[in-house]
Amino acid sequence: MTATEAPAAPPRRAQSRLRRIESRQALGFISPALAGLTVFTIAPVVLSIVMSLFEWPAWGDRSFVGVGNYVELFTSHPDFWPALRNSAIFTVLFVPLNLAVSLTLALLLSPRIKGRAVFRVLFFIPVVTPMVANVLVWKMLLQPNGLFNGISTSAFGIELPSFLSHPQWAMVMVVVMSVWQGMGYNMLIFCAALEQLPESVLEAARLDGATGWRMFARITVPLLSPAIFFTTVMTMITSMQVFVQPQLLTGGGPGNATIPIVMFIYEQAFTFQQMGLAAAAAWILFAIIIALTALQFSAQKRWVHYEV
Amino acid sequence: MTAAGTALALGACGTPSGSGDGGNGGGGGDNSGGTSVTWDMWAGSESDIEALEAQLAIAQEENPDLDISLQHSPWNDYFTKLTTNLASGNVACVTSMNGQRLSGYHEAFMPLGEEELATAGIDPADFTEGSLDIMSYDGELYGIPYDVAAMLLYYNKDMFAEAGVDEPEAGWSFEDFEATLDGLGTDGTAFGMGMGEFQWMSLPIAQAGVQPVTESGELALTDPAFVEASEWYASIATEGHGSLPPSASDTGWGEQEYQAGNVAMAVDGTWNAVSYLNNEAGFAAGMADLPAADGERLGLVLGSGYGISADCENPEAALQVLGSLVGEAAQDQIASSGRSYPARTSSQPLYFDSLDEEVRDEVQTTFDAVFTGLEGQRTTDDWAQVNEAVQPNLVTVYTEQSTMTEVLEQAQQQFGD
Repeated sequence: MTATEAPAAPPRRAQSRLRRIESRQALGFISPALAGLTVFTIAPVVLSIVMSLFEWPAWGDRSFVGVGNYVELFTSHPDFWPALRNSAIFTVLFVPLNLAVSLTLALLLSPRIKGRAVFRVLFFIPVVTPMVANVLVWKMLLQPNGLFNGISTSAFGIELPSFLSHPQWAMVMVVVMSVWQGMGYNMLIFCAALEQLPESVLEAARLDGATGWRMFARITVPLLSPAIFFTTVMTMITSMQVFVQPQLLTGGGPGNATIPIVMFIYEQAFTFQQMGLAAAAAWILFAIIIALTALQFSAQKRWVHYEV
Repeated sequence: MTAAGTALALGACGTPSGSGDGGNGGGGGDNSGGTSVTWDMWAGSESDIEALEAQLAIAQEENPDLDISLQHSPWNDYFTKLTTNLASGNVACVTSMNGQRLSGYHEAFMPLGEEELATAGIDPADFTEGSLDIMSYDGELYGIPYDVAAMLLYYNKDMFAEAGVDEPEAGWSFEDFEATLDGLGTDGTAFGMGMGEFQWMSLPIAQAGVQPVTESGELALTDPAFVEASEWYASIATEGHGSLPPSASDTGWGEQEYQAGNVAMAVDGTWNAVSYLNNEAGFAAGMADLPAADGERLGLVLGSGYGISADCENPEAALQVLGSLVGEAAQDQIASSGRSYPARTSSQPLYFDSLDEEVRDEVQTTFDAVFTGLEGQRTTDDWAQVNEAVQPNLVTVYTEQSTMTEVLEQAQQQFGD
């Protein structure tokens, strides 16, 4: 027996008594959290599963419809597929743009930039500003009598389209505004990751003659891949859950051109008071997010490098 | 197990229960002293609450043996709270209701027959013609209106003078209206396009002379006359007269543009008469009734009222309170405060007395014209949904990406039987 080995185990009876006391104490400590989890997380989740199987108005009689709500959503509801499509379009446009912009910003704010902390704060401001305020400002910029069109017509004589009342432009503007709003968050993560890059590897690469784009693509990006993976997964999840930007900027319109799935769920539940249908749509969204996240996790082996 | 148990408990909370202890919070239960009755109403500010308390005092004085209490919440939260109360079987005996929302909530109210009206001491003849329709659904009366409203055409006198266009006169026609639009020009400042239910629908209804719901309560958005009139309404935008909402989220566009002094005309309700006439933008404001088609003008009477909860344990006491709340003294109080235009005809002159002298005559003349020949709005069970579905599509119509016919057909297909 050496000094570094674990001390000799206490007698069996004493150990089991101690374990009992400790587990009782642990249970005592954890029970408030468990109670909270049960009442505020598990119970609503279970209830929402039950709800999705019922025709469940906000008040009045409920009736069991089995998978009827799911069938209705997929086969006959006129807004469900467009809402799914809009969420998909938003995600496909938003995730790569957001990552590209935030990574570029992080790279630009390299340690050589003077006053980089100030820039970081500036780019982070939209993230912490209330979304309602952001949307109000963007509305003023994008309206036909707003700033963008004003500058364009007075300086170049070009009349810009009415961005928020045109189906395609409206979606583009929701994405652009969201990228502007959200880029600061991922930028901070990339900034932190860039500062943690192993100097030895970078130096070795430099000695081997790697510079510029080659250095970035072959060395920096693989070294950043865990951070890129994290931000991709998180950004994808939040973009599937987008709600406030289209709700306030375009009201889901024109028509149903920018209504995402979460806004669809909200409207079914609180405007049309069809809780069952809303719960079913929420579970479909949950399944989609889980599936996409699982897919990303299974694909990470191919491109994420944790070892240095 | 615990989770399932809690879920069941939560589920049970949501079960509507008309009887039992749950109803007591809503009032109607016997207290040791007098019978208690709760009155549930919306109120947005201190002054709203003060006004309601003044009415409460009147009702209390008229019913000394009852213990009447007021509960209130802001307008935006009122219907959410009402829905929650309904879900938990805890609705106040005297519950306020907005006429346009009655279709979705009519089951929560007790139908009021002759016997109930007699108990409340209400004579329907005392109220503005057609105003009981506000609180009726499918031919059944569910409440008594305390105020009435109708849609008007508001106009900016300064812009009319600048363009050299004659101001509208009572009884004007749609030809006059179109001539006015032409006179005001095609730079998008003639008319603020509406997005809200009545703000856009009133002119098509007035022109077509039909409502988009049949007398038997079926959705009739594709009624040829209504479609044609709606297409005409959209043409105000497409021909360049209308100021277009920049986004589907700008639900109050036309009215805001008018209030800001950016457009010459907009359609809005009588409830905004005073604020428009004393507008902050500082322009001289005028008001006129909606144009008439072939000498006939179809306008809808709107408003809010009080009903008795279907679950009320002591409907008799609640009816007495209802009778007082829409009684002469309470209605005089509403009218003389200038807060809204009362439903009881004998109280209406007091409303005009409360206005500033310089606007009084104009308001009275226009109101006299507007509140004649009105009919109640007909709605379907899912009327709120129909409007929610149509509204964001109006932007596409105004910008010519789709037509009114397509939008109305689509909504008819979705919500019609």
